[in-house]
Amino acid sequence: MHPLLQTRRHFFKKSATGIGIAALSSLLNGEDQKEVHPKLPGLPHFAAKAKNVILLFQHGAPSQLDLFDWKPGLQARRGENLPDSIRRGQRLTGMSAFQESFPTAPTVFKFAQHGQSRAWFSELVPHMAKQADDLCFIKSLNTEAINHDPAVTFCQTGFQLAGRPSFGAWVSYGLGSENQNLPAYVVMVSQGGGNTQALADRAFGSGFLPTKYSGVKFRGGADPVLYLSDPDGYSRDARRRYLDDLAKLNEIQLENYQDPEIATRISQYEMAFRMQSSVPELSDLSKEPESTFELYGPDARKPGSYAANCILARRLVERGVRFVQLFHRGWDQHSNLPKEIRGQCKETDQPSAALVEDLKQRATLLHSLGVDHSKLTFKFQGRHYRLTDVKGHVVKPLLS
Amino acid sequence: MIRALLTFHLFAAFLSAARPVEFNRDVRPILSDKCLACHGADAKNKNIPLRLDVEAQAKADLGGRRAIVAGSPETSELIQRINTDSKARKMPPVFTGHSLTDAERKILTQWVAEGAKWQKHWSFITPERPALPVVSNPRWARNEIDHFILERLDREQLKPSAEATKDRLIRRVTLDLTGLPPTPKEVDEFIADKSPDAYGKVVNRLLANPRFGERMAMRWLDNARYADSNGYQYDGERIMWRWRDYVIESFNKNKPFDQFVVEQIAGDLIPNATVEQKMGTGFQRNHRANTELGIVAEEYNVEYVIDRVETNSAVFLGLTFGCARCHNHKYDPLTQKEMYQFYAYFNNVPEQGRAMKYGNSPPMISTPTREQQAQLTHLVHSINQTRSAIKVNAAQMKAWQASIPSDSIDYWHPSLDLKRKLSLENPDETRANGGRVEFVPGRIGKAVALNGTAYLDAGFNAANFDMEDRFTIALWAQSKKTPDGTLFSRMNDKPRGRGFALEARAGYIHVHFTSDYDDDAIRMTSKLPVLKPELWQHITLAYTGSRMAEGVHVYVDGKPIEFKVDLDNLYRPLNNGGKEFPEPLRIGSGGGPDRRFAGNIDEILIWSMTLPQDDIALLAQGQTLKQSDPQSRQIREAYLEAAAPQAQKQLWAKFIQLEQQREAFERSFPTVMIMAENPQRRDTHILIRGEYNKPGEKVEPGLPSFLPPMPPNTPNDRLGLAQWLVARDNPLTARVNINRVWQLLFGTGLVKTTEDFGSQGEYPSHPELLDWLATEFMDSKWDLKHMVRLIVTSAAYRQDSRTTPELLQKDPENRLLAHGPRLRLPAESIRDQALAAAGLLNEKLGGPSVKPYQPAGLWEEQSMQNMDYKQDHGADLYRRSLYMYWKRTIAPPMMTNFDASTRESCTVRESRTNTPLQALNLMNDVTFLEAGRQIGRRMLTEGGATDESRISYGTKLLLAREPSAKELAILKSSLNYHRDYFATNPGRIDTYLSKGESPQAPQLKASEQAAYMALASLMLNLDETVTKD
Repeated sequence: MHPLLQTRRHFFKKSATGIGIAALSSLLNGEDQKEVHPKLPGLPHFAAKAKNVILLFQHGAPSQLDLFDWKPGLQARRGENLPDSIRRGQRLTGMSAFQESFPTAPTVFKFAQHGQSRAWFSELVPHMAKQADDLCFIKSLNTEAINHDPAVTFCQTGFQLAGRPSFGAWVSYGLGSENQNLPAYVVMVSQGGGNTQALADRAFGSGFLPTKYSGVKFRGGADPVLYLSDPDGYSRDARRRYLDDLAKLNEIQLENYQDPEIATRISQYEMAFRMQSSVPELSDLSKEPESTFELYGPDARKPGSYAANCILARRLVERGVRFVQLFHRGWDQHSNLPKEIRGQCKETDQPSAALVEDLKQRATLLHSLGVDHSKLTFKFQGRHYRLTDVKGHVVKPLLS
Repeated sequence: MIRALLTFHLFAAFLSAARPVEFNRDVRPILSDKCLACHGADAKNKNIPLRLDVEAQAKADLGGRRAIVAGSPETSELIQRINTDSKARKMPPVFTGHSLTDAERKILTQWVAEGAKWQKHWSFITPERPALPVVSNPRWARNEIDHFILERLDREQLKPSAEATKDRLIRRVTLDLTGLPPTPKEVDEFIADKSPDAYGKVVNRLLANPRFGERMAMRWLDNARYADSNGYQYDGERIMWRWRDYVIESFNKNKPFDQFVVEQIAGDLIPNATVEQKMGTGFQRNHRANTELGIVAEEYNVEYVIDRVETNSAVFLGLTFGCARCHNHKYDPLTQKEMYQFYAYFNNVPEQGRAMKYGNSPPMISTPTREQQAQLTHLVHSINQTRSAIKVNAAQMKAWQASIPSDSIDYWHPSLDLKRKLSLENPDETRANGGRVEFVPGRIGKAVALNGTAYLDAGFNAANFDMEDRFTIALWAQSKKTPDGTLFSRMNDKPRGRGFALEARAGYIHVHFTSDYDDDAIRMTSKLPVLKPELWQHITLAYTGSRMAEGVHVYVDGKPIEFKVDLDNLYRPLNNGGKEFPEPLRIGSGGGPDRRFAGNIDEILIWSMTLPQDDIALLAQGQTLKQSDPQSRQIREAYLEAAAPQAQKQLWAKFIQLEQQREAFERSFPTVMIMAENPQRRDTHILIRGEYNKPGEKVEPGLPSFLPPMPPNTPNDRLGLAQWLVARDNPLTARVNINRVWQLLFGTGLVKTTEDFGSQGEYPSHPELLDWLATEFMDSKWDLKHMVRLIVTSAAYRQDSRTTPELLQKDPENRLLAHGPRLRLPAESIRDQALAAAGLLNEKLGGPSVKPYQPAGLWEEQSMQNMDYKQDHGADLYRRSLYMYWKRTIAPPMMTNFDASTRESCTVRESRTNTPLQALNLMNDVTFLEAGRQIGRRMLTEGGATDESRISYGTKLLLAREPSAKELAILKSSLNYHRDYFATNPGRIDTYLSKGESPQAPQLKASEQAAYMALASLMLNLDETVTKD
């Protein structure tokens, strides 16, 4: 598994893209490392080296040609028809089939090299450019899918049709949670100013795995997790007392029926209660020092913004959440690209770079999840499915 | 893996008892799971010479070595290779990640030693009715099922549990058969009924309850991946609820299941198929459909057919045919070619890969509900009565025609839904634009003469139609040269404009319906140059609102014109976005200044309906009333409209009004997408690597060779396929379907892998019982209610559901059924039960899907164009959960929290998890808080005068029982706590009570109500409440 996901967008191909920073970090110092997830039969146990993943998914397919993929040769060929040597008979869609010509459109943005790696960055991403030496680009990733929905499904589940578990669901299934008070797989969605594409639940769904491995959506606003807040007029003390009585009644039932599901339910209510405190505590950025907001930029104070979600991502992994996934919408640029992409970059460049910087300051970046893929399987429809049931090559230098 | 552990657990007894190894039960699962991925049907493609899925090849001499030598483990290569320490020789190879356990190696060795006897895979052998086994305690058995259950328990030296108490039993069976809890009255009556068949009476009552059909439909909707939206990117609405209601009705009237299966697959092909039978095939159209502009339609055509293959093979055969899309099946004896032969049955639908963005995609039919059908019959009756009441006095009529002055230009036109007769000379209706126009003698009265630059603008109200409207526009035209230019349009006045137009091009007629010129339009050209110079010709465009070229009709001089379809791809409204169309009706213009018409135009008539051909033919005669045949229809109708005695005129007006009413009414009928066949069969090819654009060998429809052939005299089409599925010798359909009924009642199927009866599936826990049930199902003429009755009246089902630590250790999943089922309720029932106990449940059966409470913003934050969720109000908030609007990409959160399937693809296995999100959902979702408020109200108003009696009433509503003394004490203490809480915090009472839109109960003391509401909320959160025990 490669922690950095970046897909390449081909000419006239539309694919939702994970450009991204995924930081794998060991940030659990001082956290309770006790295993709470009941060990799955037949699965290896990985509690010793707890790791986390943050995946920043730029939803709608950012144009890599305007961000990181410098194509100097294109500049001289502006307006030229796309040569057959590039198109190679690629199929046309309903969207392009009637187009009379396929003119080449090089980027209008300035590119420069940065850091010791001399990686290319466009002027749209000045903050990312400063992290040049802590980023790794994989420019070979691509999907067969030419439309948003199947392409996102492919990026998130390894298969372009619905039905398979998402990346985070697999990790959640395989590694469980390290925190008794928070879910193992957290998803946050922010809205960009650009043209948006739909985001289906399946992008963070559990597919054929049990639904409890689905991503839990954290949302900006009063109820960061669905149904988290107690009803108005009901205090925490009252809820505590309520749960005590509920537990007593459920215990009578447990004694009578001996069904372990009852014991599980009692403990799930306790976790729910803890989430009711831990999630608001986590979402409350008011205790973050001023320097955090300087680092992540002006949007960071707006709940639900990409910048605020980046801070939350760091706070989540600090608390041992296995897999944190951000989706930022609004990257579906067509003819309006020169204008819209500026806005999208403004929303994401500084916070993304800040997250890398922040994690660097706080922990060592590690590069392995330590998962034995051949053993992390789930049998469905007679097949042993794996997280890594995806065509392609593992970029080993990246993992070592 | 979980399954493997369980398998060994279950079968440990067989081995310890030193019974001979049985291939199907003991050996095949090992070979399949550990070996066949390489040594299976796909081995050849991997250049592996040894196959272990075919006996002859497994035992064949492969150059001096044989994998299996019957009776001789020592010389069997397979046995050597699984036991070797050599890493290079070890099987399975390390890289596969598979390894054999000691027990598995022992089984294989023992099997070879005992003669390596092979068996055909158990589920591919037609079931035969087994004899009832001998059991330790025949008196325990209430019916045949119990003999099989008890025999198995005997072997494991386990005893069945006692029968559950009556209150447990009625709650269990009521929840199972209706998805709702029993009412306190029903519980009391059952407990009071001491007759020996008291329970049987309850079961019969429940089977006759229409709620039964809803309960069965819940899971059928999962199988059928039913939803109210298309899925994929835009995920717009579709209308399939008539199919859903048809399913409910089919279960309720206990339609023989074989007939139901045939309708699901091929109802449209049944000779003289009824609307209901055709509607059944909605099953095949419930798959996701992509409406995105930038797709390759052919790619999705393939995906839809593959989806049908996967769904039909899973639901009816319990097999995973989809696995053979790219290669031969790795485990089952299904070749890739056979997969595509099966595919061919579903590959002949006149469908388009790109689906309609709004509403249903063809093929579809109008499916009036029973109510609508009754209303229609009534309306038709009125129409017939009115028509026959109209009596015309022939002499008077003749006199009237004679009285028409000879210079009159009045003539007949159909008055039905005539929207406009456009006056060309009235400046309020039309005004010249782009220059001056003249008026000259025309075909009938005066015509407008256009010079090729000027045109008439008829404003925004004329012909204001969009792609789903029916309309007809007729006119007369004449031109000195061969007609050229746009005759009329509602379209941008520029090239490639948006809108509709009828255009002449050097005598040919072009019709445009354009949302986007390149790829979202209908464009047609007449096959011949039908417009001639000098002649006055009558031209009519009649459109059915079908959004398809087949719904566009053009007539010249009353005769239909043949067209070549250039593009048939209209998906979005002409003015995408639903706003008022910004272009007026233009006469002689549309498509830009170059396309102005030069010539004369006369008598423009506009109808908001599709005129039939005979009306158009009459119009095209262009005779004035004076000239018309006195016996003709036009004279009679014109007379009735204009000159008949008042009473006759009124009847005629009524007749016209009723006809229009019928037209509008018929158009309001819901539609359902169904199956149909192309007149010319579409070719099916093997798709190399499963890719839509890599066709290989052409194949014909056909069945896999490992299953029985088609019954004689069966057509080789979808109908034949359906009949084959329900034929007596089909080994799978009955087993697979009764297994899912078992799963619904016991939580786990007799074959746990309900989705896979192939070699990777689990061997049944009770193989003989499964065969007995399957044969009973078929012998009973597929009587589903009979089967359900048999199961729920068995002693096995009626057992107490309490377990013990010992039993848990031995059989944690209760597969052996030493006690009754205890399972968390399905998502739908959790909500429905709360609504029922609260007295809120709206028991309306069927109808369009509804949108109950849902946290704000869920759709907006993920959907295209910020589609928002418009919550319903009033009684629609309390419909049963299976009527909830199901948006595929963003499903109702309460449903997914409680493990509902996503409806993205076919789901046959039930799933149950236990999470903190469920706890939060039950504690804080307005649905459950409101139910708590109403249950609290019921406790106060219906539960007697004391706290004790009220609490008891509450547990009766939700648990169908009285609380124990200990429970009562806890509940009372909680009630008192909440009394104190609200007494100390009076300001919180009203906010707490404000949950939900159902009426408040101001007559009750608010603080008491709040305390009872909190108590009811607690009761709704009990493990027992969300569990059937």
